[in-house]
Amino acid sequence: MTTLRLEIESLIPTHSLDRWIEEANNDLGLKLSKLVKRRVYKIESDDSQLKTKMDEQGNDVFFDPIIEKVLKDHQEPSTLPQYVVEVGMKPGVTDNPARAAREALELLNIKAEVASGQLYFVYGEGLNKESVLHMAKDIMANDLIQSIDVCNYEEFKSLDRFKEVSLPHVVIQGSTEVTEINLEISDEELEKMSVDNCLALTLEEMKHLRDYYRNPEVKEKRKQMGLPINPTDVEVEVAAQTWSEHCKHKIFAADIDYKENYDQGKKLGDKNVEGLYKSFVKASTNKIKNDRNLSWLISVFSDNAGIVRFDEKVDVCIKAETHNSPSALDPYGGALTGILGVNRDILGCGLGARPIANTDVFCFAPPTMPQKDEVDLMPAGLKHPRRIFEGVHLGVEDGGNKSGIPTVNGAIYFDKDYAGKPLVFCGTVGVMPQKLKDGVDSSVKYPKPGDKIVMVGGEIGADGIHGATFSSLELNENSPSTAVQIGDPLTQKRALEFLIEARDKGLYTCITDNGAGGLSSSVGEMAELTGGAKIDLAKAPVKYPGLTPFELMISESQERMTVGVPAHMWDDFSDLAKKRNVDASDLGIFTDTGYLEVQYEQKPVAHLDLEWLHGSLPQMKLKANWTGPKIRKSWNNIDRRENIPNQVKATLTKLLSTPNIASKESWVRRYDHEVQASTHVKPFVGPEADGPGDSGVVWLAPHGGARENAVSIGCGLNPRVSQYDGYYMAQFAVDEAVRNVVVSGGDIDHLCLLDNFCWPDPVQTAKNPDGDYKLAQLVRTCEGLYDICLEYGTPLVSGKDSMKNDFRGKNRKGDPLTISILPTLLVTAMAKTDIRYTVTSEFKDAGDLIYVIGKKSYGLAGSELCELYKIEDNNLPNIDISANKLMYRTYNNALKEGLVQSGHDISDGGLLCAIAESCIGARMGAKIDIESDRHWDDLFNEGPGRFVVSVKPENQKRFEEIFKGIDCQYLGSTCEESNLELNLSGNKTVWSVQELVESFKKEL
Amino acid sequence: MGLKFLVLTGDGINCERETAQAFINAGAEADIVHVNDLLDNPKSLNNYSGMAIPGGFSFGDELGSGQVLALKIKHGLKEAFDHFVADKKPIIGICNGFQVLVKLGLLPFPQGERVMALAPNEGGYFTNRWSTLKTNRESVCVWTKGLENEFELPVRHGEGRVVFKIGEEEKIFNQLVKNGQVPFTYKKNFNGSYQGIAGVCDSTGLILGMMPHPEAYVFEATAKNKKEDPFAKAPGQKLFDNIVEYMEKR
Repeated sequence: MTTLRLEIESLIPTHSLDRWIEEANNDLGLKLSKLVKRRVYKIESDDSQLKTKMDEQGNDVFFDPIIEKVLKDHQEPSTLPQYVVEVGMKPGVTDNPARAAREALELLNIKAEVASGQLYFVYGEGLNKESVLHMAKDIMANDLIQSIDVCNYEEFKSLDRFKEVSLPHVVIQGSTEVTEINLEISDEELEKMSVDNCLALTLEEMKHLRDYYRNPEVKEKRKQMGLPINPTDVEVEVAAQTWSEHCKHKIFAADIDYKENYDQGKKLGDKNVEGLYKSFVKASTNKIKNDRNLSWLISVFSDNAGIVRFDEKVDVCIKAETHNSPSALDPYGGALTGILGVNRDILGCGLGARPIANTDVFCFAPPTMPQKDEVDLMPAGLKHPRRIFEGVHLGVEDGGNKSGIPTVNGAIYFDKDYAGKPLVFCGTVGVMPQKLKDGVDSSVKYPKPGDKIVMVGGEIGADGIHGATFSSLELNENSPSTAVQIGDPLTQKRALEFLIEARDKGLYTCITDNGAGGLSSSVGEMAELTGGAKIDLAKAPVKYPGLTPFELMISESQERMTVGVPAHMWDDFSDLAKKRNVDASDLGIFTDTGYLEVQYEQKPVAHLDLEWLHGSLPQMKLKANWTGPKIRKSWNNIDRRENIPNQVKATLTKLLSTPNIASKESWVRRYDHEVQASTHVKPFVGPEADGPGDSGVVWLAPHGGARENAVSIGCGLNPRVSQYDGYYMAQFAVDEAVRNVVVSGGDIDHLCLLDNFCWPDPVQTAKNPDGDYKLAQLVRTCEGLYDICLEYGTPLVSGKDSMKNDFRGKNRKGDPLTISILPTLLVTAMAKTDIRYTVTSEFKDAGDLIYVIGKKSYGLAGSELCELYKIEDNNLPNIDISANKLMYRTYNNALKEGLVQSGHDISDGGLLCAIAESCIGARMGAKIDIESDRHWDDLFNEGPGRFVVSVKPENQKRFEEIFKGIDCQYLGSTCEESNLELNLSGNKTVWSVQELVESFKKEL
Repeated sequence: MGLKFLVLTGDGINCERETAQAFINAGAEADIVHVNDLLDNPKSLNNYSGMAIPGGFSFGDELGSGQVLALKIKHGLKEAFDHFVADKKPIIGICNGFQVLVKLGLLPFPQGERVMALAPNEGGYFTNRWSTLKTNRESVCVWTKGLENEFELPVRHGEGRVVFKIGEEEKIFNQLVKNGQVPFTYKKNFNGSYQGIAGVCDSTGLILGMMPHPEAYVFEATAKNKKEDPFAKAPGQKLFDNIVEYMEKR
């Protein structure tokens, strides 16, 4: 075996590490002056000529000689660093640079294994090994997936690193034999087994599993098959995956006894809810479909994404997922696999759709956290909030950009209750032609018994084992690292393009992604379509030997799809895959036996009744108890709110620079939002392209749609309202999402929604005594959602829930600490839009008239103003759903008549912030008159259902005529002078637009 | 027979569909061809009047942007590619395609050693923004003839900073200017490119590499800010119109 090590150093200055120096110095109190990075490659080959071949041409693969140099042995740097940090991938972790290098070397006929890493030379004052290691773990790398070595320069120099080269290899010796599991044990032992093996099943579920094997018919059948009477580990794991909260949504299916012990506010009355999903989510969509006689709902709730028809030629599908737990442990990898995972949902929707837009919404602890006095109070074992933010952001950036999918909409929401668990929502919109070859409907899967079950994409490794069950558990200091993995955008991109090509050639009959639960879920779910499946796990390609059958079955190794290929098309399918450098493995066939049959080297390892597996799990029975609003207490007992000032001047500029309102431009610009050349309304608008856009509008014509057709995509979330009433949180979130798309030109009569729930544990147990209250909040949220969806006529087409978003552990001082997230409902809206009639948020011409349209209300509870200042107001603003709907329709008519110059929805920060943002986007002033005896409300209340619009003077008459009977208040006009002038009941306040811009664009 | 252009795809190229559309808008035909298919049959390159290497993240930008795709082309397609260039057929490399052309050594001087690279942006990050380009009227570039003095295009890259061989920057730059090989520069230099260079062509003006994305702005519907008529032709289309017109005349 020959080995080599190469180090690549840049010859020109780069600034990519400046941020790390800043963070090390600011957050960790170090005194770094410089960091120098080298890329490291370790190469290993059986080829005895390796060194010669590499020197001839192989080394050139690794660097660009114009700007980089390659080092093949130790050379003294011009100035000596104090410390050196070397980072590499741990064995088995996806190493993308290494994979590219391997392929590149193959082009040169060099067969070699490659591992990549980085070397950092650290310069500074007062450093010691401990502080450098701490920095390395915190800022440079993640020791869950990477190896980190620190040494001082003398030690480093004495290493014979160019001679003693070792690559990370996975050495596991799993048996290919299955293990029998004895479930005939005591209740305590069953519970212990569930915990120890990360099964995440309740005692009742363990017993239900056990009882299957007590059935005499089952026993007989197993005997015939040559299977043990006891279940195999494969079977237990398959059941655990299938029944995990993540896959089965047991809480949303539970039977709920809801009681109301509160006599104010919205009354729902005591009731029994036979499943939240069935009674509210699905029920509202079905009712809307019938009441409105909707023909554009093509597929809802049954597939990986919802499919709607907003065009004559193409169908559009949409889905959003969360990836919270993995992102907490490895922000970059978690978010990257999150976005790539939801892209696969789109690819696995119908017979496959092409992703055309991504959305992403994050909920994080504020970027200013922790301040000095709260460092020790932060949850132990979790990363610094800023690192979580940066890592998640980079993951979504790489996932979207490298896949060539524009990120067109999103939000970053900050609240300290996300310090224990960040929320990472990733959404994708896809397009498919309505008809494929031979007139096949692209929205319908049609596998037949006998079709081959084919796994496409990456190989299987031990990464991502127990992802689905892990995410169904709360986070603690010992959460497993196997649940963490890195995505590989290139492998997925190749698989995607290959599959779209195969789809158009009609080479397969069904497709789904391998997400949570791996093959267990993908094969298990599609088996339901034909009534059975039979696969041999030994046929699956692996990253390394030694994986046991159950690991092969449930591994969540990324970039894999499962498709059904008719036998006579297999050669064509397989040939095309080879031509496209995509792995495609024939694992077995679909059957109609009623069983999921799994073999390993032709020996049976699992045999499960599909009906039992998917349909027999007893419904959970839960209690919900509504006791009225509960205003949260700060989990670290720190309250940073100030007394409210007596004038509005400073209030506006302060609000504009709060993390939830301030511009996220420096972050969002790192997402490609225009690839595929169809982004019509971009995230930033106005002459300087820094005004906030309300929704992303994606033109469908480049994707085969009609000339003028587009979809607008927006989102809404108001987690703080959950403290008062989930019922209204849902309605505020729906209204915000709807507002965002309607204000840009979306048609409320062709608008669909997604619901994504992220909740703290709503199941009451000794450990979680207020679970019944959290469940009541959930019930009320679902009811609020149901009511507003019906009134707006906007169907929910897909959704997802994530239920255990709590941190239970210790703070850094060692005191016990529990942080539950705010109950959070994210609503995503997608509406049909005509690109001829879209508008954006910035004012357009001086002299235009400014109006606020929509119904005004009072109440500051849940507002940004209340987060900044000590204001005692527990009143939520009102929502008048039917008034809002009329306004939205009327507004759309006004757009079609060309009456509206600019439109911006009022949300965080209220009316005055919305006006300020329209000024900022346009770099244009405005003069506003407001008569008010409750000015904090009038200026900063966040009541839903309202827009700030501007209108050309010559259109005033027609505009006011159209809005007759709808709340429409004239406020003033835009002006040449670059000032925002507010005349508040005779008191004048003036801001220069420049000072508004500076506040709004203050770095987060 | 009409003109037909080859638009390369595969291995992480992302912008093949919009690039093909730009040629079609110009009245030509465009085939999106997978790089593996082309390698299987290099002679098929002869069937085309011109070629585009679109933007994207070939091989995930690992080992340096464009690095591995350039290597793949060099090893699997060298002869056919050299023929194509010798036949004076036009080639455009956009963003990642530009990086590939540079790494192939085709730009700026197809003969002679490599003197140029596209380094990580000075700010250290990928960025998506609109940039005003200043057109150089003295350029020999065929693709950019008749463009407005100033026009806007979107840029979307992390490695787009033009740098020259260390110590010879000025000499090389002067040479390029003298030859008319710099068709446009950024009005505001956001990525630290040498003298704000946004694109470079060879001395014949037929091979063009550029970081901005003309194919993303061929209709006003995708303008930076809303325009009156979304279906009107936008400035990015002009480059494709130019080359089709030029090849038709030739």
